[in-house]
Amino acid sequence: MTRHYNSETARLLGVIADEANKLPVSDRRDFLRKGVAMAGTAIAAATASGGALASNLPPNIPASNRSLGPGVVTNPYGQPSRFEGDVVRRTVPWLTANKISSISFSPLQELSGIITPNGLVFERYHAGVPTIDPSEHRLMIHGLVERPIVLTMDELMRFPSTSLIRFIECPANGGMEWRGAQMEALQFTHGMLSCCEWTGVPLSTLLQEVGAKPQGKWVLAEGADGAAMSRSIPIEKALDDTLVVFAQNGEALRPEQGYPVRLLNPGWEGNTSIKWLRRIEVGDKPWFHREETSKYTDLMPDGKARKFTWVQETNSVITSPCPEKPLRGRGRYELEGLAWSGRGRIKRVDVSFDGGVSWQQARLKGLVLPKALTRFSFEWSWKGNPALLQSRAIDETDYVQPTLTQLRQVRGVESIYHKNAIHTWKLAADGTVTNVQID
Amino acid sequence: MYRLTDRFNKSLLAGLLLVFLAAGLRAEPEGQKGAAQEPVQATQMGSTAAAAGLFQDIEERSLSFSHSLDPARAGYYGLGEAATPEMIAGWDIDVRPDGQGLPPGSGTAEIGEPLYEKKCAECHGVFGEGAGRWPKLAGNEPLVGGGRPEKTVGNYWPYASTLWDYIHRAMPFLQPQSLTDSEVYAITAYVLYLNEIIEYDWELNQDNLATIAMPNRDGFFMDPRPDTRNVACMEGCKDPDTIKITWDSTRLGVTPVEHLQQSRATPLPGSAPQSGDKVYRQACGLCHDSGLGGAPAIGDKAAWAGRIAQGRELLIEHAINGFQGETGVMPPKGGQAQLSSDAVSAAVDYMLGRVGEG
Ligand code: HEC
Ligand code: HEC
Repeated sequence: MTRHYNSETARLLGVIADEANKLPVSDRRDFLRKGVAMAGTAIAAATASGGALASNLPPNIPASNRSLGPGVVTNPYGQPSRFEGDVVRRTVPWLTANKISSISFSPLQELSGIITPNGLVFERYHAGVPTIDPSEHRLMIHGLVERPIVLTMDELMRFPSTSLIRFIECPANGGMEWRGAQMEALQFTHGMLSCCEWTGVPLSTLLQEVGAKPQGKWVLAEGADGAAMSRSIPIEKALDDTLVVFAQNGEALRPEQGYPVRLLNPGWEGNTSIKWLRRIEVGDKPWFHREETSKYTDLMPDGKARKFTWVQETNSVITSPCPEKPLRGRGRYELEGLAWSGRGRIKRVDVSFDGGVSWQQARLKGLVLPKALTRFSFEWSWKGNPALLQSRAIDETDYVQPTLTQLRQVRGVESIYHKNAIHTWKLAADGTVTNVQID
Repeated sequence: MYRLTDRFNKSLLAGLLLVFLAAGLRAEPEGQKGAAQEPVQATQMGSTAAAAGLFQDIEERSLSFSHSLDPARAGYYGLGEAATPEMIAGWDIDVRPDGQGLPPGSGTAEIGEPLYEKKCAECHGVFGEGAGRWPKLAGNEPLVGGGRPEKTVGNYWPYASTLWDYIHRAMPFLQPQSLTDSEVYAITAYVLYLNEIIEYDWELNQDNLATIAMPNRDGFFMDPRPDTRNVACMEGCKDPDTIKITWDSTRLGVTPVEHLQQSRATPLPGSAPQSGDKVYRQACGLCHDSGLGGAPAIGDKAAWAGRIAQGRELLIEHAINGFQGETGVMPPKGGQAQLSSDAVSAAVDYMLGRVGEG
């Protein structure tokens, strides 16, 4: 994650101003005066060592060894290092008419392991992020039940809870590329994808508590946002592994992720995991709301559309190298990537350097959990040759991630959702990486 | 966690076999016929959903599932307040295809027209054609035949109830849940009328909404996935000489890439004016490379001749402010509001320079 900054004056001045802001007002002016003088010399000293201050490099003792830093609770809620400033969610403005109903992408190229930090989880709103005071929030559970109830957040959190590491992926992830490659960065080709540890109450516990009746075959989940987002979920899923979530990665849900409470349907398209959950109704039939008819249905070449396409099938992508992380010179590298399946665990990942002519098995790294991101790794030596890099995941059901050609043969190019094809990066002799499609 | 019953598991296995047979007939990619098919374990809900081919439809499959919740355990934790009928009535806003959930009320397209024009048309267009990039609501383009058919209420939505429900819960976009029930009936009627589904003076109400036969009612079928059968070949999987790059994302240049280029050459902001071809690649090529959405394709003499005759100034004005012509909608600055007018005119000059190159 090292940044290679160049020694722009503007940046240094920015750093100094930043630093000054942390000082008491009385000290600031003095600091700034010295700082500006310092910046001058620093700029001259820089460049030679690829952007770093030479005075901080061996054999010199770095400044950090010769000074003190800010003390405890300078930042009562800690933030990433300011040198990680470009590790942020991004959007592609022309994808949507406005930012209120829009999407942003997680910077997969910058992440390690399998957990997405809370501030980097991709966003998808249909009516922006509502502001909800948890003391005013209620979860109503009613319909074909013996005991319809309304729960406060405190009451909800008194039920026995569980924690699961699971991915959430928007089914439109990669959907801009059915016809051809047009996203020039990993963040945009695959970034509608995040993975957290989610803590909440199994929906089965709540359905038991309200006494869901045998005629109850579906539940409707509904949000408290301006879209009153709603989806029908079959009771098999609701009783299997659906969770009513109030925390992610150890802290309360972020507003962007449904604070104070959301649903999580592990392995299923993200839209079903209703955020800002305010209501669950048990019924005997699906509701066929807008998000399961007009949207989130997959149009096939014969003009008919698939409905209730819930599961996110096995997928994978190489995250290093990628367009954002080109190779810098020949030599040994650890190729890395992410694989995931909405049907269970990842069993194996293969990588190819020649566009799929030959494949080699990668190593699965760290935790290998069902319906969670799984990191794979392959050590290799780059000799400076152009290459076509691919990864191919296989899950525990033995489903093999398909090629784009295979997907298009069955589904054509109009289906928008659920594109889980093997992805190709073109590696050029200068180390740059480009998103391409091959036949 | 609750487990599926044994009986259900057995029927799933049978369902799986059927799905395999069906997929073999329908979805097998060429050249893969007869490839070893390993059985899929139906252990996770994802597979069970996909494996439900045994039933005609997902709703039917769902009905056949019986859960084992123990009524005697209801209220075991005793948490929460009883939801009263009044509380439920206030919150329970959902409407189903059979009409369940519709409140009393009625309205005609005639009553809905002025309401629609006041509250909806600025985004969705006077005829439901969609203003700019806002969603289109009316139209009956066929869904087959390629060319990115635009889905609308008329050609795609299977149930009228969905329209009532959605307008009521989420529209108008900036004031959701601000319409009265009667307004929702009237506006729903108007959108149905724009789609030529009901007559202008037909009164829509809670009793007849469910009887409306939407044109695409039978246009949906349940998810048949897994629908591909790739095999994990390891060596000699294809002839390297046949591999060709069919698409290269940098050709279009439509995504923001500044963040990945910052460690490369960094021109000072505001220094060199943006060259026309660069702006074109970044903001215009998406439509004008191929003629997407009725855009005159770059270099296509016939498509440009008449336009050029209008004079460069007018073309630049149209490119900057947007333009609705006979072939489609040209969004202002190609939809990229951050572009300067100079950048857009440079792109137009570049496009004009390419006319006639072939
Ligand atoms: C300010 C712009 C705006 C106004 C005004 C507006 N809408 Fe919308 N409408 C939208 C947006 C944006 C969406 C898509 C929302 C999303 O998917 O997140 C939408 C979606 C819809 C859809 C679903 C379209 C589809 O294909 O799924 C319908 C139906 C609709 N609006 C009806 C209406 C009606 C009726 C009104 C007036 C009462 C209205 N809208 C007013 C912006 C607007
Ligand atoms: C989303 C698609 C799209 C994008 C992006 C786009 N255009 Fe267009 N453009 C169109 C369409 C469609 C037309 C044809 C409109 C008509 O005549 O019906 C058009 C027409 C034009 C015309 C002819 C206008 C006239 O009066 O005949 C010019 C000039 C033009 N575009 C320039 C640009 C420039 C410059 C850009 C980039 C800054 C751009 N376009 C981006 C879709 C697009």
